[in-house]
Amino acid sequence: MARRRKTLVQKGRDDDVRIIAGFILGSILTVIMLLIVIIAPPATIGPSEGELAPDFSADAYNGANWENYKLSDTFDYEWEEGGDGEWILVQFIDTDCPYCWSEGETMSDLYSQWSGNVEFITITVELSINNHDSDRAEVEAFRDKTNYGTEENDGDGCNSGRNNCINRPGTIHNWNYIEGSSSIMKDWEITGTPFLALLQPDGYVAWNQYENQGEEIESAMQRLVGGSE
Amino acid sequence: MNEALTDPILIIFILGLAISSYLMLANNEKKTSMLLISSLSFAIVGITSSAYTYIIHNKMVVQGSTTFCSSEGLVQCGSVIGDPQWNNLFGVPWGIFGILSFSILIFLSLCLYLDRHAKWSEDYLNYAWWAGIAGLPFVALLIIIELTQVEDAPHICPFCTIAHFALIGYAVSIYFLKNRRNIGKWSENEG
Repeated sequence: MARRRKTLVQKGRDDDVRIIAGFILGSILTVIMLLIVIIAPPATIGPSEGELAPDFSADAYNGANWENYKLSDTFDYEWEEGGDGEWILVQFIDTDCPYCWSEGETMSDLYSQWSGNVEFITITVELSINNHDSDRAEVEAFRDKTNYGTEENDGDGCNSGRNNCINRPGTIHNWNYIEGSSSIMKDWEITGTPFLALLQPDGYVAWNQYENQGEEIESAMQRLVGGSE
Repeated sequence: MNEALTDPILIIFILGLAISSYLMLANNEKKTSMLLISSLSFAIVGITSSAYTYIIHNKMVVQGSTTFCSSEGLVQCGSVIGDPQWNNLFGVPWGIFGILSFSILIFLSLCLYLDRHAKWSEDYLNYAWWAGIAGLPFVALLIIIELTQVEDAPHICPFCTIAHFALIGYAVSIYFLKNRRNIGKWSENEG
């Protein structure tokens, strides 16, 4: 007589092991998170005062050519409050924004007073407004005050195409103009231009324009950085 | 030899990968159990190496540098984890993505290891397979970033590479497990 082969169907356990697995995973994650917090707690990054300024790496125009610029390379991580160090003034502009056009002079004045102990950087962005397209040539012309566009309101040039960039208020801006991007704008929570923030030498935000509506940048720099040159 | 490659922590991770690979390839009577342990082991190496890259990330953000990994040469972390443009996905550091992804893989493998005959075991095996496969395009993307996009590319971040190998190893373990299930060798007493 042929023997019929029995198929053995194994049953699972009565208890639901997924709960046990969940507890084990929870324990592993707890240990990992504790180790991270003990060894290297994450910094609070953002544009608000007291936060570490969002880092970026982008091309920058220095008056001669475009080179890579990384914000955190300028940070002095050893800096302590009251100590020497170079502060960082971050300005966001759109070369076609009328307020940025007129702030050109303010920036020139600030630079003439604080260039010795403050690093100036301008990040150029494009706002989503008609006639606010700007290319590298326009950014270079805005910074260097060179011939670009006309004095007619024809969309050609700086200040929404109303002006030739050579006539921008203020002097030539002898600092880096950085090519901004939507991700930099998002990280810095930029909703409009111009925007200014002053960073401590160690990269922490000391002054944010949005949080100090009643205080001008000049008095903020006087208060935080100290006497101008 | 590149300084980064002699890092004791890196050597521990490499040993972890080697042990996981041995468990995956070794032939013995309890092959299914061994493969489940191997997948768990790969996932644990993956989660710890991801956590380590997140620690390096935090150190670099707060201090600008770290003694946890070299910042010079071809094999280094500084230019990869320290690159603000590429060290995150939508603002979330890659290390966090790694921790979360490997958590899911650990959970699935652990459930299968604890009760491979449960009603849901076949579904969980398929979830583990698809979850492992889903991570591979990200591994490819990160390798492309390391080799072509970061500052002064190419660079190879050794701890990131450990996490990549861990994911690949995990996917291969699960592939073998699926094969065993398909040919009726899921239970130990079936060969």
